[in-house]
Order: sequence, then C-alpha cells, then structure tokens
Amino acid sequence: MNGIQVDINHLKKGEVSLGTSIMAVTFKDGVILGADSRTTTGAYIANRVTDKLTRVHDKIWCCRSGSAADTQAVADIVQYHLDLYTSNYGTPSTETAASIFKTICYENKDGLSAGIIVAGFDDKTKKGEVFSIPLGGSVHKQDYAIAGSGSAFIYGYCDKNYKHDMSKDETVNFMKHSLSQAIKWDGSSGGVIRMVVLTKEGVERLVFYPDEYENL
Amino acid sequence: MAGLSFDNYQRNQFLTSKNSAQPKATSTGTTIVGVKFEGGVLIAADTRSTQGPIVADKNCAKLHRISPRIWCAGAGTAADTEAVTALIGSNIELHSLSTRRQPRVVTALQMLKQHLFEYQGHIGAYLIVAGVDPTGPHLMSVQAHGSTDVGYYLSLGSGSLAAMAVLESRWREGLTKDEAVSLAADAIEAGIWNDLGSGSNVDVCVMEVGKDAAYLRNYRTPNVREPKQQSYKFARGTTAVLKESIINVCDIEEQEVEIQA
Amino acid sequence: MNTVASEYSSEVQSTPIEHSFNPYSDNGGTILGIAGEDFAVLAGDTRHTTDYSINSRYEPKVFDVGDNIIMSANGFAADGEALLKRFKNSLKWYHFDNNEKKLSMSAAARNIQQLLYGKRFFPYYVHTIIAGLDEDGKGSVFSFDPVGSYEREQCRAGGAAASLIMPFLDNQVNFKNQYVPGTDGKEKRHIKFLTVDEVVRLVRDAFTSATERHIHVGDGLEILIVTKDGVRKEFYELKRD
Repeated sequence: MNGIQVDINHLKKGEVSLGTSIMAVTFKDGVILGADSRTTTGAYIANRVTDKLTRVHDKIWCCRSGSAADTQAVADIVQYHLDLYTSNYGTPSTETAASIFKTICYENKDGLSAGIIVAGFDDKTKKGEVFSIPLGGSVHKQDYAIAGSGSAFIYGYCDKNYKHDMSKDETVNFMKHSLSQAIKWDGSSGGVIRMVVLTKEGVERLVFYPDEYENL
Repeated sequence: MAGLSFDNYQRNQFLTSKNSAQPKATSTGTTIVGVKFEGGVLIAADTRSTQGPIVADKNCAKLHRISPRIWCAGAGTAADTEAVTALIGSNIELHSLSTRRQPRVVTALQMLKQHLFEYQGHIGAYLIVAGVDPTGPHLMSVQAHGSTDVGYYLSLGSGSLAAMAVLESRWREGLTKDEAVSLAADAIEAGIWNDLGSGSNVDVCVMEVGKDAAYLRNYRTPNVREPKQQSYKFARGTTAVLKESIINVCDIEEQEVEIQA
Repeated sequence: MNTVASEYSSEVQSTPIEHSFNPYSDNGGTILGIAGEDFAVLAGDTRHTTDYSINSRYEPKVFDVGDNIIMSANGFAADGEALLKRFKNSLKWYHFDNNEKKLSMSAAARNIQQLLYGKRFFPYYVHTIIAGLDEDGKGSVFSFDPVGSYEREQCRAGGAAASLIMPFLDNQVNFKNQYVPGTDGKEKRHIKFLTVDEVVRLVRDAFTSATERHIHVGDGLEILIVTKDGVRKEFYELKRD
C-alpha cells in the first residue's frame, strides 16, 4: 500500500482476541445477527460462551471481531452516542449507528483492531439493514455480511446460498449452516452459535448448541 | 496532571539499551476463581506472591474490597491490581454517596474497564469482580486491556487452567453455598498444587443476597510448614560487637513523686 | 453483490519473524553436597519442572555411579542425564582397562572435567557435584561449573536454590561469621567435623527452607550417604505447592 502502511493488524501482547466467525443477514421481516462464542488468548479458550452480539440501541446491534477490549470499548462509546442522539432527535437509523462506528474505527485505525458488522431494523421503513466495517474503517452496505477469521471458509457457501427476502426460518437455517462450517474449519471459532433476530415484533435471542449444528 | 506519569519512559528505554535491566514488578503468578451459586456469588484466591522464581510473600491477600458487598480477586502485577481496585473502590464510594444508592457491580466493572482500556494494557491488572447489589448477584472478569467477560464460573491467572479444569468438571446450576465454597477452594487447590506460580493458602469471600459479605481469610491452609530439625539460636556474643555508640535523642529528667493513697 | 475483503488479505507481517531452536531448557531442582570426616552426603529434591509446570514429583537426580561415588548434574535434566551416562560408561572402561581398579575421587573429578570441557562450545547446561571418600577415607565433595572448572570443597549447593542454601551452609558447616562469645570478634568459632545426623538435619532444614522460598524446589528430598560401608539412601517428603 504505497509503502505507507500502519501496522493495524497486530494485537498487543497477551491481548484477548475474538478469532471469530460472525455474520448478519437481511431477510423479509428484518435482519438476523449471528456469531460463534469463542474467545481466545493464544491457544487457551478464555471464554467458551462469549456473547459477541452487542446491543448499541433497541434494534441496532453489532457483531464484534478482532480485539475484545477494542470492540467492547468502541461498542460502549457508540451506545453512548446513540443514547444521546435518541434524547436529542429520537430513534436513530442503522446508517447513523454505522456512521458513528465508522468514525471511531477510521479516526483511530492505528490503535484499534476491530472488525465490526452493524445490523439494525428500521421500524419506519420496516427494513433490516447491514453495514460491514472492516479493519481500516470503511463502511459497506450489504444484503448480508460475514467477517472474522472463520468467514474465510464460507465466502463460497454464502455466495451460492444467499437469497433475497428469505423467511425467518430459511434465514436462521442459512446462518446456522454457514456458521457451522465456519466453526468447523476455523480453529479460533467454536462454542455455541448465538443469533439475534431483529424484526417489527421486537428482539429475539437464539442459541444453538454443538450437538445440533454439528450434525446438520 | 492527573493520571500516571510516563516521564521516565524514555530514560528507562535508554537505560535498557545500555544493558541495565528494568526492575521487575512483583507479579502475583496467581490462581483466582469466581463461582455463582443459589442466592449469591463467591470469589477465591491462593496466597503466593512471586518475584521470578522466588516466593516474595507466602501469605499475601489477593482478595480486595471495592465496596462492602463488591469484592474482587486480582491476578497480574500486584501493584496494579491493588492500585486499580483502591482507585475504583474510592470512586465507587463517592458515586454511591452522591447518588444515594448502593454501589452496583456493573458500575465498578465499567469504571475498571474504561480505566484499563485507557492505559492500553500497561496497567497489568486481571480481575475477577463479584458482588451483590440491588439487582442481584453478579460475577464478571476484566483483563488488562479492558475486555470484560460474564460467567457463572470464571478463573484467571497462571493457575487458571488447572482451576478451570476443576470448575468445568464439577460446576452445575443451582449449587448451594457450601458446595460452591468447596468447589472454589478445590479449584484454587488445583492451582496451588499444579501451578508453580500459585501456592500456600486459600482465601475465600462469600457474598450472599441480603447478607454481609463474609471474608474467609485463610479458609484452607494445606501448606503449614513442618517444624525444623533443630534450633538455630546462636549463643549470645556469637556476632562480634565491633563498635558501639549511643546517641541521646532527648534529655531525660528524673523526678520522684510521692503518691498519696 | 460486491465483496468486502476479510482481515485475511491484510495479514501481512512487516517485521521478519525469527525462528530458532533453543537446545536448552531449565528443569529446576536443587542439589547439595556436604563432606564429613569419614562420610559424605549428596542430596537433591525430586521435582522436575519446566517454567510454571511440574513434569514429575519424583524424578531422582542423585545417583550411585559405583566405586562408592555418588553424582548429580543439576540444571538441564537431559544434559545431566547425558553426562551421567557418559561418566558411568567411562568408569566401566576404566575397570576394563585397569583390571577392575577402583576409581579414586580425584581421578573421577579429573575425568568429569574432560567430559565437560569436551563440550566447551556447546556445554552441558549443568552444575555438577560428586561426593565420596578420598584415598585416605576422608569425606570429599567436588563441584564443577558447566565447562569443567572444578574444586574440592567441604560443602556446595547447586541448582535453582543454590544462592539460598549456600550462605546457610557457610554459616552452619564452616561457621562463617561466627565468633567465640566474649572475644569481641577476635576469635573465630572453631570449625569441627559434623556427624552424619547433624549433617542430615542441616540438609533437611536447607531443603524445607528452599522449598518455602523457591518455586522450582519441592515434592521430595532424596539424600545419598557414602560411608566406607557403601551408599545409603534416605527419602523425605517435601511440600508439594
């Protein structure tokens, strides 16, 4: 990259990392976020039931990958900004949330290792939206997004199997299969599959155990 | 200026390059655990503190009080765990006074993680934070870089793998207080016996809903030293007195006083 | 569908990573040899470690090598074993070549020096101590540095807790820093030979104390005692934390 490259990819020594498999998918009724639950320090699994799906507003959530400390700090700051925004202007759009995430990730790119997917359901448009914010701090609006070390293994699968306007069950099934494969082939991913479903009905949490997703 | 001073950083960097090693901080190569049970939460720790391979303190206290019902167990750099809990403990009390509410575990945790994140891991504190507050019992952990975890059972420190092996095999939902205490103590013992960074005794702190926290210092002492084979008392005069001088730091006046019965 | 690059593509290393094999490791433990008037002891703990882990709680490192000589090479256990094996082999050939002649302590010491110095530029990473009786039947202890420099001594501690034990020995075996009461430091306390029982008591206290303060010492204490009647073994439990 033109010889000017900031080393944004390193973790500080002994840092806890989310060598992750995460994704968010829009569907007919809204959007679903999904993630594995493994947190590692080197070879040790520091937490096998981690929750990488984090609320930043009632119906705007994010999937975190990269450094656990950095992504938690960023999510906390975004949550604060959205709280402030809400009391000043009312419910923020998903795009606004993604923009705040972007600003923080972009302005501090030399100090952060955070790969974040922002997903939200807009009660006005009745639409789910997904924004991917990879390492440098760029924003990419997508129908669905995958990220984290495990995502490398499921680009092909997702590309072949994603369909527009799927039903909730279809989407959950698609994500379960995708994350199952990501976890299977990525050593840094594992544990349970967590999902958060964002629709006009509200927020629903789902958990799938290895017994189920390993034998699909 | 508030906060830590990094004035000597460059000097130390220079000194290191001139081959004089930096002083090493006493690291509590530790085993600490936290366990949730029916109606409360507890934390436990071993009591060995080391400086490299040398045992600096055989019976140090790694359980710190943040507020009367929020306690935390510390691993990592001893000075950092103590300083950071004292600081947050102090701020929690001020916050509690100004809000007129009992302190909450999440508040302490959020203050800890923001402080640690600000210092980007340079404050080497790894803590298990636990306590009861108006919202119930809580168990969480913070790492030096500022990341936090929540769990029903947690372990940290160099003996965390040994302790976690015990917790993973024996923890279940709905443990009674007594079951949880012995599980936690056994987990610490696993660290004491199998991790060289941990040793000596087991400290426990039990926090039950609606009760005062019970700090059980030296709850188990499985490492009492056997008596020595002989006495090493020297005969008086074995150490030569080469020089003697007495300095009068004050003038002494004597006065006889008669006291009537 | 547009695709977004994963972190995968940016996993480039700007600084070169140096891969190198370190042939040495430290297996902890500590040893101690004391010579008496007509006996000698060599003691060692039985804990075997790497870093913060215990590999074994009973791995003897003091051995009877024959000819009333006991030996221990403490430090990197693999090198210690190799050195011991080579010395035992050397002793066997000495017997073959010299009609079963008994190897003297001084000859054994000189032989070990040759073995150690032979690897001057890739040393055995060990502190070696041997104990036995000299040609006059007096207790003798020889200690070696990793490359073969050696010395006959009254007592010597080696290994992890050597720096903790040695000052205690100086004071209790050679009565260093002790004066005869009432002489105002004019007259040093007179040295005398200790009995086997006294020595064993000192050894046990030295090891229980080292166990208290050094994390690489503990689990068990094995003492080998050489007298004119042969080699005797004693074992005592040490703390396991």
